[in-house]
Amino acid sequence: MDTMRVLALVLFAIPLLAQHGRYLSDSKNAAIGDPQAIAAGTKLFMGSCAGCHGPDGGGGARGPNLVRRSLWHPLSDDAIFSVIRNGVADMPPTKLSDEQTWSLVAFIHALTGPASTNPVPGDPTAGKAIYWGAKAGCSNCHAVRGQGGSMGPDLSNIGGSRPLAVIREAIVEPAKDLYYLGNEAATVELKNGQTLQGVAKNRSNYSLQLIDTKGTLHLIEMRNVKKLTVSDTTPMPTDFAKRLSRAELRDLLAYLAQQDVRSKESAQ
Amino acid sequence: MIRIATLSLLLIGSALAQVRHEDIAQGAGQNWLTYAGTYSGWRYSPLNQINAENTRNVVPKWVYHVPGARGLQSSPIVYQGVLYVTAPNSVYALDGRSGRLIWRYADPRAKSQGPNRGAAIWGDKIYFTTTDNYLVALNRHTGALIFNKQYADVAKGTTSTSAPVIAKGKVIVGSSGGDSGMRGFLMALSADTGEELWKTYTIPAKGEKGSETWGDLIDWGGGATWLSGTYDPALNTLYWTTGNPWPDYNGSVRPGDNLYSCSLLALDLDTGKMKWYFQFTPHDTHDWDAQSWPVLVDTEIAGKPRKIVLHANRNGFFYALDRVTGEFLRATQLIDKVTWAKGIDAKGRPMELPNIEPNAEGNWICPSVKGATNWMGQSYNPGTGLLYVLTLEQCGMFYRSAQQPQPMKNFSGGGATEEGGQVILRALDPKTGKRAWEYPMTGLGRMWTGTVSTAGGVIFSGDDDGNLLALNAKNGKHLWHFNVGEMLTASPITYSIDGKQYVAIASASAVFAFGLFEPAVPIEQPVIEIKKK
Repeated sequence: MDTMRVLALVLFAIPLLAQHGRYLSDSKNAAIGDPQAIAAGTKLFMGSCAGCHGPDGGGGARGPNLVRRSLWHPLSDDAIFSVIRNGVADMPPTKLSDEQTWSLVAFIHALTGPASTNPVPGDPTAGKAIYWGAKAGCSNCHAVRGQGGSMGPDLSNIGGSRPLAVIREAIVEPAKDLYYLGNEAATVELKNGQTLQGVAKNRSNYSLQLIDTKGTLHLIEMRNVKKLTVSDTTPMPTDFAKRLSRAELRDLLAYLAQQDVRSKESAQ
Repeated sequence: MIRIATLSLLLIGSALAQVRHEDIAQGAGQNWLTYAGTYSGWRYSPLNQINAENTRNVVPKWVYHVPGARGLQSSPIVYQGVLYVTAPNSVYALDGRSGRLIWRYADPRAKSQGPNRGAAIWGDKIYFTTTDNYLVALNRHTGALIFNKQYADVAKGTTSTSAPVIAKGKVIVGSSGGDSGMRGFLMALSADTGEELWKTYTIPAKGEKGSETWGDLIDWGGGATWLSGTYDPALNTLYWTTGNPWPDYNGSVRPGDNLYSCSLLALDLDTGKMKWYFQFTPHDTHDWDAQSWPVLVDTEIAGKPRKIVLHANRNGFFYALDRVTGEFLRATQLIDKVTWAKGIDAKGRPMELPNIEPNAEGNWICPSVKGATNWMGQSYNPGTGLLYVLTLEQCGMFYRSAQQPQPMKNFSGGGATEEGGQVILRALDPKTGKRAWEYPMTGLGRMWTGTVSTAGGVIFSGDDDGNLLALNAKNGKHLWHFNVGEMLTASPITYSIDGKQYVAIASASAVFAFGLFEPAVPIEQPVIEIKKK
């Protein structure tokens, strides 16, 4: 079988910056993370906000995608409160009570904040078995706290740095939004006759950093390379929406949501 | 088939490359494996490709700008061509030849701000501490988290700033925060799991020996261990210095010598048990932490071979102790102007002058609060037999406040000024404590940079004007300098890749690497095939 294809099958990509995400949770308001408040906030959102921002916060013709926006422009809970209260640009101010506004903030936090800080449906124990099992094969390429493969990004902090919706999207649509950049499958033939295989990190015209299939880093100068073969898309399988049932995907997400370097409960 | 077999052998060989105790104990060379380059604190490298004759041909090789950095204090670790540099709550792995980023690990949710002075390496893991006291172990190839473990509580006033030192699989971590009240300690954690192996407090508990040298504030006595220490493998002893007693400038609330603040502690690596201590500044009221690390040298003192520990102290004196017994051997004046003590007596105790306490109006004392030296990296060169120390001739006003001490409220019991001053790089003879030569600098006394010296007979040092400079290690003559364009707050190191020697230093916001000039060789691009999935 084509080596590249084998490699592609075992690789699994999630955003390169997965472990470096940032979320500003400065609010001590009790509504944050409270399921009842979130439920109340959901109703308010569907009634007043979904028209512009979309029912899942994914954006519409008149309002931005709140989930994506949280990745490049994270807002603190207090700042979200203030935007809802006072409006911003074309968005009008609201006349909601403090309690209503906080439940709306709690819903938006649940939508856009790190998965580990929100209630998440699904069974993390079942998800753990899926992560480490053969059917999904996540651990072949992705490590959690030192266990698992090294070719894909480390997931030890994925729940602590990414909203659930973004983790879900990276699993079911891994080729979207150039998530795979910096993790392309590569074969390097060196002028000295050696061949190395792995993922190409930080490739430039002058040098290449390669993590090989054993997880070892190679610093390669392009002057020493005879031929470089590199994939133009993600090495991660793109069929997880079919490969996993809806319940399995939900459980896997529940497990990934727990992975947080700042959480004492997070474990393999 | 043959190719595959060769490849797998090669990969196995590479994957097995692990940093062992012997590698660190061997000292610097191609790699730089511990904070001060050697366990003995020498910041010395046997590399000699760059030497006193060809230093004039040194040119910059690359610069890496650390995003958002403002005052980097990190001394890089180097292993197999990769530099590991820290900024607060983050580590950057850089290609040592090109400066390109390989990976970055960041923990932006740490509960405290503050500097970080460096990483450590053991096996195939990189270690650093977050400002809020987590030991973090990372895969050196990928930056993936292996484990993190909280070892102290930031809510009890303790933070972390220093680079861990790893010996025999024990990660030694210190404690910071002594200016706001805390109880200083040193800890050994397992390099495999982060589990606590031992913890030794630098301030005794009430009722313990030494507690009679304190008043009621002993629980918050300070004695932080905020700079990496040194280690003698033959004696299996750690040498670690401690910071000021708290509150810094108000000594009236803590009558006595305040053990073991402003001291050097000799601890057994396996148990953390104190073998001996030596207090440089009993009952300090000028924030003269004993930080500036202990340098371990074997030399002759008064015609007798001795294992000694050298210590250039913030209080203005340069000490030599027997490092087996802790016996005081000698102290000489480190800087020209010292106004608080007329000298050190035969037992090692300062002979204090009258009227030296901080007061409400301000008391003018030399050295200043920043001290005659501080944590700037000093270097011992076995080739010249000299110790190179960045010293500061500076005085300042010391004030005492009448306020009630409140732990963890950033209360230091007063304040102090740093006024004017001059940085002078001094070469000291460990045998006598006398100066061999000195290199005065211009500037405002604001630098925090240090030195590295080599078998090439060169000292690289930061200066007080933002230059990295090279001096002849024998006589202190200027050889070369380069303006990095901002303040220097960290110390240089040297390493070698593919037979080429580099010198690297973190400036306030970037990492610079230098090497000997080589004409550029044009690069022909290889065949690149983009494969569609």
